[in-house]
Amino acid sequence: MTVSTTNIVRVKRTARVNLRVLRSPAAVISIVWLVGLVIASVTGPLQQDLTAVLQGPSAAHLLGTDELGRDLLSRIVTAAAPTLLIALIAPIVAVLITTPLTLWAARRARTESVMSRISEIVLSLPGMVIILAAIAAVGTNMPAIMAIFGVLLFGALYRVFIGQAMSLHKQLYVEAAAVDGVKPMAASLRHVLPNMSTTVIVQFVLLFGAAIGVQAGLAFIGLGPQPPEPTWGGMIQAASRFIFQQPWMMIPTGGVLALTIIAANTLADVLSGGTAMPPPLISLRRRKRRAAADAATPESADATVAAAASTVEHEPSTGGLVVRDLVLGVDDGPDLVTGVSFTVEPGTVMGLVGESGCGKSVTSHAILGLLTPGLSVRSGAIEWDGVDLAAASESAMKRVRGHEIAFISQEPTRALDPMFTVGSQLTSAIRRLRGVSKREARDVAEQLLVDVGIIDPPRVMKSYPHQISGGMAQRVAIGLALAGTPRLLIADEPTTALDVTVQAEILGLLRNLVAERDMAIVLVTHDLGVVADICDQVSVMYAGQLVETGSVRDVLVAPEHPYTMALLAADPHAAVQLTGATHLASIPGQVPAPAEWPSGCRFAERCRFAQEECRSAVPLEPRADGVGQVRCIRRDEVRGRQEEWCQPVTSGGAS
Amino acid sequence: MFVFILRRIGFAVLTLLIATFLAFVLVHLSGSTPGGVALGQTATPEEVVAYNEAIGWYDPWIVQYWNWLVQVLQGNLGVSLIDGRNIADDISKRLPVTAALALFGTLFSAVLGIVMGVVAAVRGGAVDRGITATAGIMLSLPVFWVGVLLVYLFAVQLRILPATGFVPFNINPEAWARSLVLPVLTIALTAAAGIARQTRASMSEALTQEHMRTLRAVGTPTNRIIYVHALRSASLPIIASVAVQFIILFGGSVVIEVLFALPGIGQAMQAAVGTADLPFVQALVLVATLVVVVVNLALEFSSRALDPKLRAA
Amino acid sequence: MSARDVGRSIVTDPIDTTAPLLEVRNLVVQYSKNAPPAVDDVSFTIARGETLGLVGESGSGKTTIGKAILGLQPVTSGQILFEGVDITRAKPAQRRRLHGDLRAVFQDPFSSLNPRRPIGDAIAEPLRVAGVPSPERRMRVADVLESVGLPRTAGERYPRQFSGGQRQRIAIARALVTDPRLVVCDEAVSALDLSTQAQVLNLLADLRAGADLGYLFIAHDMAVVEFLAQRVVVLYRGKVMEQGPADEVMRNPANPYTRVLMAASPVPDPDEQARRREEWRRMRTEWRQETGVIATPV
Repeated sequence: MTVSTTNIVRVKRTARVNLRVLRSPAAVISIVWLVGLVIASVTGPLQQDLTAVLQGPSAAHLLGTDELGRDLLSRIVTAAAPTLLIALIAPIVAVLITTPLTLWAARRARTESVMSRISEIVLSLPGMVIILAAIAAVGTNMPAIMAIFGVLLFGALYRVFIGQAMSLHKQLYVEAAAVDGVKPMAASLRHVLPNMSTTVIVQFVLLFGAAIGVQAGLAFIGLGPQPPEPTWGGMIQAASRFIFQQPWMMIPTGGVLALTIIAANTLADVLSGGTAMPPPLISLRRRKRRAAADAATPESADATVAAAASTVEHEPSTGGLVVRDLVLGVDDGPDLVTGVSFTVEPGTVMGLVGESGCGKSVTSHAILGLLTPGLSVRSGAIEWDGVDLAAASESAMKRVRGHEIAFISQEPTRALDPMFTVGSQLTSAIRRLRGVSKREARDVAEQLLVDVGIIDPPRVMKSYPHQISGGMAQRVAIGLALAGTPRLLIADEPTTALDVTVQAEILGLLRNLVAERDMAIVLVTHDLGVVADICDQVSVMYAGQLVETGSVRDVLVAPEHPYTMALLAADPHAAVQLTGATHLASIPGQVPAPAEWPSGCRFAERCRFAQEECRSAVPLEPRADGVGQVRCIRRDEVRGRQEEWCQPVTSGGAS
Repeated sequence: MFVFILRRIGFAVLTLLIATFLAFVLVHLSGSTPGGVALGQTATPEEVVAYNEAIGWYDPWIVQYWNWLVQVLQGNLGVSLIDGRNIADDISKRLPVTAALALFGTLFSAVLGIVMGVVAAVRGGAVDRGITATAGIMLSLPVFWVGVLLVYLFAVQLRILPATGFVPFNINPEAWARSLVLPVLTIALTAAAGIARQTRASMSEALTQEHMRTLRAVGTPTNRIIYVHALRSASLPIIASVAVQFIILFGGSVVIEVLFALPGIGQAMQAAVGTADLPFVQALVLVATLVVVVVNLALEFSSRALDPKLRAA
Repeated sequence: MSARDVGRSIVTDPIDTTAPLLEVRNLVVQYSKNAPPAVDDVSFTIARGETLGLVGESGSGKTTIGKAILGLQPVTSGQILFEGVDITRAKPAQRRRLHGDLRAVFQDPFSSLNPRRPIGDAIAEPLRVAGVPSPERRMRVADVLESVGLPRTAGERYPRQFSGGQRQRIAIARALVTDPRLVVCDEAVSALDLSTQAQVLNLLADLRAGADLGYLFIAHDMAVVEFLAQRVVVLYRGKVMEQGPADEVMRNPANPYTRVLMAASPVPDPDEQARRREEWRRMRTEWRQETGVIATPV
């Protein structure tokens, strides 16, 4: 083992955990409380004053006295160290037993199945009853009882650990270590255990808190250390006996116990990275109106234009979708999409193309108001039938969603609810969207499944999503999208997760829908082949803005923007066809993150044709050939120089 | 499915055997012998040994355990060493007390916990922080302390509920209900916090699932998304946590029963351990394990009924 | 290229230079007794310095074959010979001796690096296992990083500090650090964006140029395989449909399934794609008739 690197790793890791704890005031207070209790306990004296029995708090006895005139504060504090130290035994035993067994079991399926049976049995033992039975056997020997408690915790702890250990073992880097020839046990120690350390520590602290509680509970029912030895549980028990005479006694005795357990749990919460939850995928609260109000405030020139546009009467091109100067952004963060405009005519397919991180998916989500909470429309308009969907109320959106515009997403199997059958998902949507009876809805659902090319609808209706293949699931998802007979379908990478042969089938289905139902589609994809196959119009996006639009033939055959050219040249499907080239075009670097967009041409940094003039803002201008727009000031100079991308780039840092 | 049921029941029986054998070993490891306990301080060592001989205490463990099992299968749990009570009769009288406590405690905490968790997950923000902090504190408070405080508040100060004690249902249903309110409230607070945490975590995870977007896209109303689709997705871990709370409440009823002077299983356990009433301890372990095993079986079967993926497997 | 002069010391056995680099004989892999085999009687060879493409859809068994070769998947029957040595059931200790010669690049550049260790650590791992002393390890890591187009000092940084394409370069560096004879690339570029994918494909092509390095290139995308491979094996449901020189198979596929697969992959030219689409429809019908597969929707 390299001394230097190992040390670096270790130092860095502890630094990270330390930082998280030290940055949290709650965690610092918790630690101070726990450590302070132990220190005070070891140093504090026991005081007794037989003349002052059952006193409330006073200057002499800050927390009052008990039934024998003993000072509560000093008794509570004296009891702290034994309580806390003995309580440590349980989590230590539990972790020492469980961790090695988990690491061992995670590597072999057979060991794991045996071990999980054992953990199940241990988990099924009535813990408290077994502990009491153990007290019957070994007496009120607290350290031994805590050790037994620790053993009993194996069942629960194993369940927590094994899940994570197994998923870590599935990580490719553990597999890669095996290919590297690292011994299995060494791989567990080097790659699995360190990544589990947070869980282990968090569970340790949680169990520590639980052990304190169990200890106090036992003392409370008289099965703890025997009087006169001070214990927290025993003191609460005494307090409860004298509750009529001196209710105050309850407060300090139980309060200290409660605060100690709270401290342990707080520490565990902070260590585990807080209790933050992942934000829901869709907005659950009605924020539409607020978004509209925001758009109306004169944040930017665009916003006022948009606000004006939304009040303006219908566009001449009725029946289509018109997106105008759409700006999307992270709330309190950077813009993700700026000034995107496009039109989708009925019965046509508009492709929204670009690499990941270019903003094409969020744009498609924005159309139906499906933006993840935390993202919102900053300005611009999404016009549909004369209504601005970007500023529409929730009830207006309700009339559009499913009825007029539908949506299908990237992962067909995950897009359907795994808990309901295909039939029930279809019929409930059909009933709501078409207002028909349950019987009728079933008939409609079966017909829809036939329409999307499913041969055996009754069987598929009864199936759950996990029982059907990805291609079938995408057909079902399309059928579901058709439930409300929409005129526009938003398809977010509908074939990316599918095999090519299945992709060809799904594209064929979409093509038929357009032809037969005069439906329009907004198709988000990164695959230029898919665009060539099905799209009529194309909008190429780069770093949150449109760089080239036009008919599919113009854009793919005679691209005018260097980015489009580069994408085409980098596509092995195109390159191999052309020349059998030994090199693909490679665009140096990567798409810049939203906060890092340059003020000029956003592609300039990676563009082999970029010059000084590209550093200033570039507007969209009409194409040289055909209808559409291009965002490149050197358009006329770079046209037709697509092949140059295939030559190695000298600048830019890529190989 | 049939094989699955058989396998689970077989497993449950195995668990019962292991738990009772463990208790058997613990009982034998304890310093006391049945003779010593039953005959008391006044008996001579010879008398004690004779007593033990008579009940086969010196036989090999495995033989003794086997004999005990045979007795149990015939419905005979033995008699108390202290007062000669029939243990099976005594337990059957105590079981309804503990069962009512655990059942009502679980029901109340499930309702409270699920509502708290769903509200926290759906509303987010300050509401979530408030609920999470409250649940964190509720989870940390020692039950017996909370119990005493509640007694002080409702029984001593407000005088609207009895402090301790128990009235059987068939004697006075109203008094029975009143005697259960405080114990149930006490245990439900901690249990509700545990369920609330699980519900919040499962709900918030369910709401990030890809199909939420599909549901919204076909115009599903928000309430239906939350209460039909997301809650259904989240239901398995929530039900599991409710079952765990039931098991904890049942097993952990010792402290509550002692505190509120309820004549249940837990109180019997405390007494039996205190007096080294060995057959009683052994029988109580059996009963407690049986409850756990049955609840786990019910959980297992309901999970399969709820989750189509499990059902297929 | 500096990665070339490393790692010979790892394998001490004399090498049979007449044997193919890798030979897979009648390989069968079954996940469970009742399940149909995931890999069904697959045989192929890879010559020294050759790149073999393994193409197929999901469920074709291509990844399973890769894992079996790397010893990550137990084999039901058949043989895997590496440089003439049977490694089908080689124990970890035996494998360790040839691991320097047989390496892998995995699909997912995000989970193939341990987030808690600096990348230099990951790259040096096989050297550490082989007992190469620390200073030499550091030299070799720097050399190999340079050869994949990353700064020599990048080894001190953590995976989160790199983009997807850079991580795949790191994964390649880690495969090459022992100067291997064969690298199994399992969908090594399919998780990458188009421009980054091109960068990595070019890099793989550059690295083997003029070196004694072969690839087993596993992919679902015909075009990607065509770019890199000299020979291809087409798989369908665990069985070999066709194998042969890449350009031959691509230009004139003999097997109807290969034809369907080729035609299904769309090209970014609307007119050409319209032609291919018609071709695909025709071939699909033919293939279904030929194989008796009913027109099951997918």
